Amino acid sequence: MKRPSTWLIAAVALLAALVYPFVFSSTEATTIGFFALLYVGLAASWNINGYTGYISLGHSAFFGIGAYTIALFATRLGLQGGYGLFAVALLGGLVAGVAALPLGFIALRVRTMHSFVIITIAYVMMLQLLAYNLESITNGPNGLGVPQPAWSGAFFNIPFYFAALVLAVGTVLLSAWIRGSRFGLGLMAIRDDEDKAAGVGVDTWKYKLTAYVISAIPIGIGGAVYAYFASYIYPQTVFDPTIDLGIVLSVFLGGTGTILGPIVGALIIQPAQQLLTLYTGNLGTAGWDLLLLGALFLVVILLMPSGIVPSLVERARRTSVREAVTKADETTPGAQTAVGGNGTS
Amino acid sequence: MTSVKVCCMQYVIAEGRLLGGRIGGHAVGAGRKCAAMTAAPASVTIDLLIKSDGGGILLSIRRQATTAMFALTASSLLIAGCGTAKPAAQAAQKPVTIGTSLSLSGDFSGDGKSIEAGYKLWVDQVNKHGGLLGRKVKLVVLNDDSSTQQSLTNYSTLIGTDHVDLVFGPFSSPLTIPAEQIAKRYGYLLPDPAGGAPSVFAENYDGYAYAKPASVPHNLLGLGNLLMSLPASERPKTVAYATSNDPFTEPQLPPLRKELEAAGMRTLYYQVFPDETPDLQPEALAIAQTHADAVVLGTTSVPQVQAFVQAFAQQHYNPKVIVATSGPDQGSAFSSALGVANTEGFLVPIAWTPTANSYQNKQFIQAYIAKYGGTAASIPADAPDAYCVGQLVQELVTKTHSLKNADLIKALHANTFQTVEGPMSFQMDGAPAGTHMFLVQWQNGSTKIVWPKDSQQASLEYPKPAWH
Amino acid sequence: MSLVLGSVVLGILSGGIYALMAVGLTLSFGVLEVVNIAQGMFVIAAAYLSYALQRYWHIDPLLGLVITIPVMFLLGLVVEWSFIRRLKQDRVMLSILVSWAVALILEGVVGLIFADDFRSIHSWYVTATVPVFGLYVPDIYLIGFALAVVLMGLVYLLVYRSRFGAALRAMVQNREAAALLGIDVQRISTLTFAIATGLTAAGGMLFGAIQAFNADSNLDLISRLLIIVILGGMGSMGGALVASVGLLVAVNIIAVTWTPNWSTFFFFGITILVLVFRPQGFFGAPAARKV
Repeated sequence: MKRPSTWLIAAVALLAALVYPFVFSSTEATTIGFFALLYVGLAASWNINGYTGYISLGHSAFFGIGAYTIALFATRLGLQGGYGLFAVALLGGLVAGVAALPLGFIALRVRTMHSFVIITIAYVMMLQLLAYNLESITNGPNGLGVPQPAWSGAFFNIPFYFAALVLAVGTVLLSAWIRGSRFGLGLMAIRDDEDKAAGVGVDTWKYKLTAYVISAIPIGIGGAVYAYFASYIYPQTVFDPTIDLGIVLSVFLGGTGTILGPIVGALIIQPAQQLLTLYTGNLGTAGWDLLLLGALFLVVILLMPSGIVPSLVERARRTSVREAVTKADETTPGAQTAVGGNGTS
Repeated sequence: MTSVKVCCMQYVIAEGRLLGGRIGGHAVGAGRKCAAMTAAPASVTIDLLIKSDGGGILLSIRRQATTAMFALTASSLLIAGCGTAKPAAQAAQKPVTIGTSLSLSGDFSGDGKSIEAGYKLWVDQVNKHGGLLGRKVKLVVLNDDSSTQQSLTNYSTLIGTDHVDLVFGPFSSPLTIPAEQIAKRYGYLLPDPAGGAPSVFAENYDGYAYAKPASVPHNLLGLGNLLMSLPASERPKTVAYATSNDPFTEPQLPPLRKELEAAGMRTLYYQVFPDETPDLQPEALAIAQTHADAVVLGTTSVPQVQAFVQAFAQQHYNPKVIVATSGPDQGSAFSSALGVANTEGFLVPIAWTPTANSYQNKQFIQAYIAKYGGTAASIPADAPDAYCVGQLVQELVTKTHSLKNADLIKALHANTFQTVEGPMSFQMDGAPAGTHMFLVQWQNGSTKIVWPKDSQQASLEYPKPAWH
Repeated sequence: MSLVLGSVVLGILSGGIYALMAVGLTLSFGVLEVVNIAQGMFVIAAAYLSYALQRYWHIDPLLGLVITIPVMFLLGLVVEWSFIRRLKQDRVMLSILVSWAVALILEGVVGLIFADDFRSIHSWYVTATVPVFGLYVPDIYLIGFALAVVLMGLVYLLVYRSRFGAALRAMVQNREAAALLGIDVQRISTLTFAIATGLTAAGGMLFGAIQAFNADSNLDLISRLLIIVILGGMGSMGGALVASVGLLVAVNIIAVTWTPNWSTFFFFGITILVLVFRPQGFFGAPAARKV
């Protein structure tokens, strides 16, 4: 994120996101825009933990905690719908962060990758079952409502869109800042070789846990914003493994460990998925949407195994290297790799 | 059937050109891309227009190809932007569009498709008889893949973007309240074929109507009366209950339990199981071991009932009475899953039966069989549920002589409506005001009303014969 | 008392069946370093195959294995040849993505053919029972357990008592060295994946006979299979059997003695507990994270 062209791209993207709901003001467009930005936030947040190379398939646990926090808080205190509830959404992030501490404490004891993945999946399922079974607190299978603002239908999506935008931008900035910091370097050292990282003085345990907790917070906020938008939550709609799939696929598709990857991935997957279902499923022949989605992923994965962003950066680097070779005798590839990040590991 | 989507495609093109012009000023690249992209759907549009009736598979393939191109080539900005269609100047003869989002794939697709069948059948019927206020009715069905997120997008699209005239409710349970909220925001009437959980009514939206003759907690109460009508010495003395944690199923059991316990029938087993439980063997074993006289199953699907019955049969456990909240109401889907012999004596609460003497029931059955084939016994309960939604709206429109949602909502609470499921009226929160439900029993391969007494078609077969 | 005993018996038997479904997963991980998310969907596809053979051609599901096993074997060949072997780097992570996409496509295809209605495989031995400890155990569980033991035994013999197995084990220890010794690494990988997929034919037939299924069931199934395989130790067949039997017995006991509502909670709880103290699973080799 150093070169001026990067900043230019970021500024244009931000501007596009800011004017989007005014240019494309239909509720269909703003709803899809909301979900796309929400998932940018979720994916960028997940990726903070992803820097360590530990793949969590259970961050929807924090999504659900955030969602239940806002629902419980608002209904128990009898709060009214309105802009104020977005502040309560922040509380959802806080509670998710606090919950991440013990959960991360247990899961990160395990250094075997597959076991870590399974533990995180188990978290989601267990929390979902708690939400079902602790009826006196969560209202069990009957779910909980979030008080709704009295905004008109045409306006309703706008504040939510911008809330998602703030969440997305904030999380991306946080993730970029971490990646450039000493802390971030430590995280990536852990990804490359945990023992070596410990050998050169990285307190790996503290680093991993910190990353895990930080990455839970924006997801918790996202869950709360979602609950507010959806107006009602059930255990199976917020502690939902398909949310994890959505997040992880966005990151992998875009490129793990990069700043831009999760953004690109989420902006492609969310609208593609929603539009595919919207326009192909109404013929009673469900199946085509899955087929197309699967084929799309296969093509992307086989053509760009390290994700869209790193692959494109790599391609750009090669051409620039080629140009450099023709200009001079020596090449300096090392400087560029930092932009793409991951590559192979 | 496909007309609104067709229109949508047209708007896409119109809007695409517009965008090309509008954005062209400061972001030439983007504008050009959108124009290029929309060139592709053009051919599809023509195709659709030519074959707008019954185009079937060819259409679907074409449209999927288009959508794939959308998804692959366009950025989210462009796609969504192209969806910003404003209906063109509306001619007086324009059809009445009714939008709905149903689960045509995913967990709830079984019910979702039956609801779709019921809605479509009603549209056929109403059009055959001159439509609504002389205008033809067009139904737009979007698929929500049983996902709340998709359902939110779908109802936003239908109501906020496409401005359909009326909406019908979704099927899958968790989607009802979000749909209700969107309807509320725009003041749309939301007649709903499924979604009678207490939480739905707690939203207190007067435009919501759970189009059933009775609310969910009343469903099983007939059973208590029925059992009390047996001679005291023969009544079941012990009962086992097991229910899915589904929000629309679980509330049905506690009122019944209270009633039966008050009547002296002891509870030997009462357990809730997660709806997604893949293996119901342990639950079934535990119930079989209690040897209770009566079994009450809070099931949500045919496979769940089948799992219990198979295990009961294997354990040679034969209760005298067995009732399930859902499954035995699914007509031939139920009898073919269990085998006709094992359906004998099964009880289920039901709002509709083919033999009921309710409003337009004969026409409904005739039309259903003509359109979808099968027999009266093979009609799944969801189809008449959906048909009622149409009938309700039709009567509202006829009574108010208006298609304005506000007028319809006002009339909703002032009238009683005749449907294939009997008369319906509604409280302010959308809950049915009545308590009328049938209790039917499978006898010799079809269902017979055994309760209430005044509609009784057969007396209760008691005790239920042994499994085969 | 007989209730608890009965549920233990049922847990052991269905544990065997689950282990059979999971064995392909552990095999392809051990040999190819591939986490095959499509395994659950392979099982479901095989179940549909058995269902269709019986429904439309009246072929008994057990007998039908003669047809379904080669068909699934071929499917495995095709999938390995088209996708898996193209993954050169980052195999674990990329295989998750690729096999997930394969599962999606297969789910779409199955959905197009059979729609979403629940199906189940019927036969006389699905309903017939044998009395055990005052309970009646369905024949299909006994047949399934026996089939699982036989098939897993055959795989064991193949891996530990054959030339193919010797080459395979050399490969597991060191891929590069094996290749240098003249072992056709690619051929062994392909065959292993195909065998692993072929085994799902039996697993799928049993799965479809003990419970109703549709294409959607694959997600729930794969998470259970992954848990079994990882708890047992990735790559260990015996481990998968122990883990699967242990988990199902524990869950069944909780369901009958306390409540089915919490039994799934403990399924996951036990998994976490075991993994925290034995991250490599019961029989996995202790190893640091490698990705």
